[in-house]
Amino acid sequence: MTKRLTIITTLWIAALISVATAAIPPRNSNSPAGPPTVSKVQDADAMRLEGEKRFRANCGRCHAAPQKFPPRMMATILRHMRVRATITDEDMRLVLYYMTQ
Amino acid sequence: MRYLPKLSGHRLAPAPVLRWRCALFLAVLVSPALLFAQTYAADNPIPILTGNAGFFTNVVAGKTEIVSEINPVVLVPLGDHWLIEARGEFEGDFQRKDWGDGPYGGQVGKELDYLQADYIANPYVTVTVGRFLTPFGIYNERLYPIWIRDLQSTPLIFPIGTGSSNGVMFRGGLPLNAKVNLNYATYFSVASTNDTLDSDRTAGGRAGLFFPGPRIEVGASWQKLLQEERTNAFGFHFAWQPTPLPLNLRSEYARSDLGSGYWIEAAYRLSQIPGWNKFMRRAEVVGRVQQLFAGHVDEDDAEEYGLPDVNTQEADFGLNYYLHDGLKATASYGRQFNSDGNFNLWNVGIAYRFALPLGRPGLQ
Repeated sequence: MTKRLTIITTLWIAALISVATAAIPPRNSNSPAGPPTVSKVQDADAMRLEGEKRFRANCGRCHAAPQKFPPRMMATILRHMRVRATITDEDMRLVLYYMTQ
Repeated sequence: MRYLPKLSGHRLAPAPVLRWRCALFLAVLVSPALLFAQTYAADNPIPILTGNAGFFTNVVAGKTEIVSEINPVVLVPLGDHWLIEARGEFEGDFQRKDWGDGPYGGQVGKELDYLQADYIANPYVTVTVGRFLTPFGIYNERLYPIWIRDLQSTPLIFPIGTGSSNGVMFRGGLPLNAKVNLNYATYFSVASTNDTLDSDRTAGGRAGLFFPGPRIEVGASWQKLLQEERTNAFGFHFAWQPTPLPLNLRSEYARSDLGSGYWIEAAYRLSQIPGWNKFMRRAEVVGRVQQLFAGHVDEDDAEEYGLPDVNTQEADFGLNYYLHDGLKATASYGRQFNSDGNFNLWNVGIAYRFALPLGRPGLQ
């Protein structure tokens, strides 16, 4: 019973932290799938290069490079991969930029 | 009074004119949205149907088995924060009947691997509810799809701690600093004896550190069974993709009451071979060694979990050829060693990954 209580309490705390942090505006981002706004990377070419680098580091760990799908498909695939592969928000934005340019 | 309907009708434009006006009004209303959608197409994800299909022939200890498999995945994004995703598994295993002399026959297994709602709460936390892949090690979540895995046979320790869970999960990835990213997943699952939604009552999690510079990932997993024997399972994983080489090294270790063991796999793309580069860059050679130490389980339980009930070693070598993106031909040879007898494992087949939009995909 005590263990059950501990688990439930832990999950509730995690949920509360999640909701609380949701209220904080994320750094370097406007929306989860919005255009990249990484302050360090200024021009499009540099962003593409950085996106390719992040793509090779994150996606290439598991599978070969896929073809570039249309942007709205790519956005869905990247959202799926963000959850599945637990890649960071910034990595997802840069990879999405690279894959849709 | 009798003229009222006529008068009120006269005030309205004739039906075709009205339709044109409505269409024009809607076009004016919608056109900025369409322009915006084209400009920021990646901001408007659409539902897609993706997944993979494969056809394989396995020869295990001299017995031929034909396997056909399809794993459809449906992804439905909702707004900026939500994703509904589901994967089904349909696998037909066909063997010769009548002790190898009759026609091929067998059953088609159907499973629901996951059906989950993901809420991206913020850049660091995603909340998942529903049926999801148990985050234990890296194989189950990342390497399982047949178009991704380098060898078609799953590792011997794969059944330890993996499968699907029903409940709630918190997960995410965040940069700790410029050189290290942290990824984590923690979950609680309820027990279910439903055939489609089968799961144990468990709690557990996985944490990993990824170093993007050298492309190294290390991590650990833990799982507590909250029913019956209330046992623990834990595991470690390691992955390395050296920057100067087209090489992928992966390894996992897992330990539980059911058994313990490890696998080490290396996949090398032949793109750096100078001769026949057009052909060679699409080819990949793979090798894997693995060992399983049987746990405290009887033969029936081991069979139920899909684990060997005796200590087992196995070595596999394979060749993959990427015909084009998403279409891969694969072949492998392996040999398994255990006290019940040693035998060969042959595999040859083809795997295909598909992705279809379920809406306007936008401009490339």
